[in-house]
Amino acid sequence: MIRLTNLDKRYRTEEVETIALDKMNLEVKEGEFVSIMGPSGCGKSSLLNIIGLLDDLDGGSYLFNGIEVAKFNERKRSELRKHNIGFVFQSFNLIDELTVYENVELPLIYTKVNAADRKKRVEEVLEKMQIMHRKNHFPQQLSGGQQQRVAISRAVVNKPKLILADEPTGNLDSANGNEVMQLLTDLNEQGTTVIMVTHSEHDAKYSHRIVRMLDGKTVTENILL
Amino acid sequence: MIKNYIKIAWRNLLKSKLYSAINIIGLSIGISACILIGLYIHNELSYDQFHLNSNNIYRASMVYSTAGPVNEAAVSGSKVGPEFKRTFPNVMEYVRTYVTTSSIKKGELVFDENKMLFADSVFFSVFSFKLLAGDSKTAIDAPDKIVLTQSSAAKLFPQQNAIGEILRYGGSDYKVSGICENPPQNSQIKFDFVISFSNLGNAYKTETWWNANWVTYLLIDNQTNIDQFENQINAYMDSDLVREQTGSMDPNFLHYRLEPFNKVHLHSKLEGLEPNGNIQYIYIFGIIGILILLIAGANYTNLATAQAMGRGGEIGTRKVLGATRNQVFSQFIGEAVVLTSVATVFALMITLFAIPFFNNVSGKSFVFGDVLSFKVLILGPIFALIISFLAGIYPAVVLSGTKALTAMKSSFELAKGNGNVLRKSLIVAQFSISIFLISVTAIIISQVNFLKKTNLGYDRNHVLVIPMNQKISENYELLKPAIQNVIGVSAVTASYDTPEYVAWGDGISATGANGPVEISLNAMPVDLDFAQTLGMQFAAGRDFQKYDFDLMDTTNNSVNYKLPYIINETLAKMIGWTPEEAIGKTIEHRALGPIVGVLKDFHFQSLHQSIGPLLQFLDKNSSRKLLVKMDGGQMKETLKGLENLFAARMPGQPFNYHFLDDDYNKLYLSEQRTTSLFKAAAFLAILLATLGLFGLAAFMTFSRTKEIGIRRVLGATLFSISQLFVRQFIFLIVVAVVVAIPMAWYAGNYWLQDFAYKIELEWWHFALAGTLVLLIAVATISYQSIRVCLLNPIKSLRSE
Repeated sequence: MIRLTNLDKRYRTEEVETIALDKMNLEVKEGEFVSIMGPSGCGKSSLLNIIGLLDDLDGGSYLFNGIEVAKFNERKRSELRKHNIGFVFQSFNLIDELTVYENVELPLIYTKVNAADRKKRVEEVLEKMQIMHRKNHFPQQLSGGQQQRVAISRAVVNKPKLILADEPTGNLDSANGNEVMQLLTDLNEQGTTVIMVTHSEHDAKYSHRIVRMLDGKTVTENILL
Repeated sequence: MIKNYIKIAWRNLLKSKLYSAINIIGLSIGISACILIGLYIHNELSYDQFHLNSNNIYRASMVYSTAGPVNEAAVSGSKVGPEFKRTFPNVMEYVRTYVTTSSIKKGELVFDENKMLFADSVFFSVFSFKLLAGDSKTAIDAPDKIVLTQSSAAKLFPQQNAIGEILRYGGSDYKVSGICENPPQNSQIKFDFVISFSNLGNAYKTETWWNANWVTYLLIDNQTNIDQFENQINAYMDSDLVREQTGSMDPNFLHYRLEPFNKVHLHSKLEGLEPNGNIQYIYIFGIIGILILLIAGANYTNLATAQAMGRGGEIGTRKVLGATRNQVFSQFIGEAVVLTSVATVFALMITLFAIPFFNNVSGKSFVFGDVLSFKVLILGPIFALIISFLAGIYPAVVLSGTKALTAMKSSFELAKGNGNVLRKSLIVAQFSISIFLISVTAIIISQVNFLKKTNLGYDRNHVLVIPMNQKISENYELLKPAIQNVIGVSAVTASYDTPEYVAWGDGISATGANGPVEISLNAMPVDLDFAQTLGMQFAAGRDFQKYDFDLMDTTNNSVNYKLPYIINETLAKMIGWTPEEAIGKTIEHRALGPIVGVLKDFHFQSLHQSIGPLLQFLDKNSSRKLLVKMDGGQMKETLKGLENLFAARMPGQPFNYHFLDDDYNKLYLSEQRTTSLFKAAAFLAILLATLGLFGLAAFMTFSRTKEIGIRRVLGATLFSISQLFVRQFIFLIVVAVVVAIPMAWYAGNYWLQDFAYKIELEWWHFALAGTLVLLIAVATISYQSIRVCLLNPIKSLRSE
């Protein structure tokens, strides 16, 4: 599904150039659950942003479902992203001014799904995530675990092929963390590819494979199954 | 999608209450000011447009020279209308008009202070004043007919049909022949009653080119080329036959200018039936409206870009979820639209409350219905949409153009960079406008005070002006000594004009030190004691005395008739005499006569004009105003005494009076309006700009709460911290001062150019504005920074 070859990413300030990804290679097959681990600053998040088409790459190739997307412009990337990729963030990134229902509905609005279908799909997902009873609440009125469940609902409502999770349990206690991990595992079992960045060995054990990074490169890959 | 935009816009509005309030208050005031100014401009531009013949009516104004300079007047002789209709086929109709204020009697009841319009019988056919009862063709076709306006009819005949009723005016009976709609306020012809022009007696029976007291309107065939026609008229006026009639031998002349009726109000310098408006005021009002709206709009742009700091996460998330640039752009424009819509509703309410004040400033009489009219309700929201688009476009473009990741990670950066430069520029613009308006206001107030305090060369205090009607004129000889005996009266006289504005144009010939001269001047027929009543000083000679009447010998075919004259210093100088030399010299005006006195120059027109040559001649029969000087000690008793005297001598006649001071102040009505307008504008500008600064300072200090906490922990004082914030704004205010002062200097000078007597621009006019704005800004910013400083530093540190 994803093939990254010799991927380069550099950040430049006026005086310093930092290499985030250095000739990085990675392949993720459809239906896989991959964890990416490594110390802070090793390039995990940069990698995830590039895979999520949120950031440009400075060199190398990125094939998404066999299509070279490295040179895609913002409009094309956005188009590909909204139909294929769901995001789960450590800090949830829910919009405070929208209710649970409206937050989950948002991706469907942007993909121009009609109102009746939107209602059906949002309710379906909220039921599945067991958060339906909170649909009219605003994010600040929910616990961290509930907020992350809303965020996952929002990530999956468009039925993406790929879910990118950036330390999804980072802001949660262990009980809520486990619950979130179980949700991701369930989604993966239903066929969704999951790539997760994490610091937690415990969380990483839910995945099929752990990619360990250092200084923008893959150092080891452990297959857990 | 739109529902989603509106929803989030509304929730954001409620979430940021302070910023929303600042924006809504600012925009409502701005929009309200624009609605009122729009009403004013629309009203002024629509002046006299409601007549069906509006485009084909022209006012015939005189352009003439009797001795040297060329004079112009909106009035003309009674011959102009009928003669032009007889001579030129393209003059289809003419209407001569005259408006006077007089009393009307219904039985024994006297109704006072009504505008009586004398007009030719075709008045209601040429102009579109709608008759609600009566026939427009015959309503005033006979001398004994009178048409009432709706409100006069309601006043005189409440709950009664007025048609056929009898009213008494000037000793004659009139039968009510029509009721007409009240003339709208945007009409140069305003009246309460209309009667036939033929009631003016001699003016009607004897057509004359001169004795120009009537405003003549001509209805001209719409195929006519007006420039060519004007030339044709003036060629006719220059023909030997007409020159003989007018007595204007070359190089003197009497010409006419055809002023388009619907342009008179805004474009003519000549005052006809009422004082004109001025197209300059349309521009001034318009510019002020735009400036106020700019300040309010800038507040929105400023606060929205600053707030972008806090919205990076939201924008980023939307983009991650697939929002396109257009969608984010639309969302932000949508927020501006929602906010402006709320502001528009408030603006309408503010406008309704502001109507009385605005009427006072503008001299108009708008009512609620004008604000809630179809045009305002349709154009208002359209206008509001345009504003919201303009105010919201910058934040919308910046925020929608930011990449998802940048927005999420570095929202603070959004508010920096170009946004920072824009915000600073807008603050400079806002405060420049404020300083500009305050400086100009200071200049205008200084000049108006100067006008009030200038020594006019006579004493206008405690002088009562009593308009002389027929009855007073008939009783004048007996009345004068009786008035003098009233307690508190120190002098009495009568004259054609009051001294603050002498309109009578005339000419003299004399032989001065450098030979014969002919001089165009202003003249005033006066009675004895004029100079004494008004406290005027003589440079040489004396006032008129009783024995001067002996010179006016009308026996023996007036062969020995002489007219005694008093002149002013300027006239003496123009002839080539010193005041002393002038005494006893002969000049010719209506007749030859000696100069008996030279008055020290006094201002007999507004201070817009330099003092010109003036001639006074003894003629009590032309008097229109009775002037009574009171010593000012017991005004109430004196007025009561005069009222009793009038009631006893002329029972049934109302005792109308006003003070000379009021007449003087009326000369500067437009200056007083300008003062009020600029005061209001300057106040609104500084209020809105300060409000914006207040919001921005709140935001700046809020976003640096943590920094302030750290500084406080490290021992910073309140002063040093507020200095940190004040410093960056002071620079902007200084730039605003530098930008505003040259503009204010230019505008002030431009405005003052219109006055012959004026103040000099002083440094403090500008320093005052700059200092005031600086103090307000420093106070606003210090307040906000001190507020954050006073938070517990631990709380500040936790804020992020």
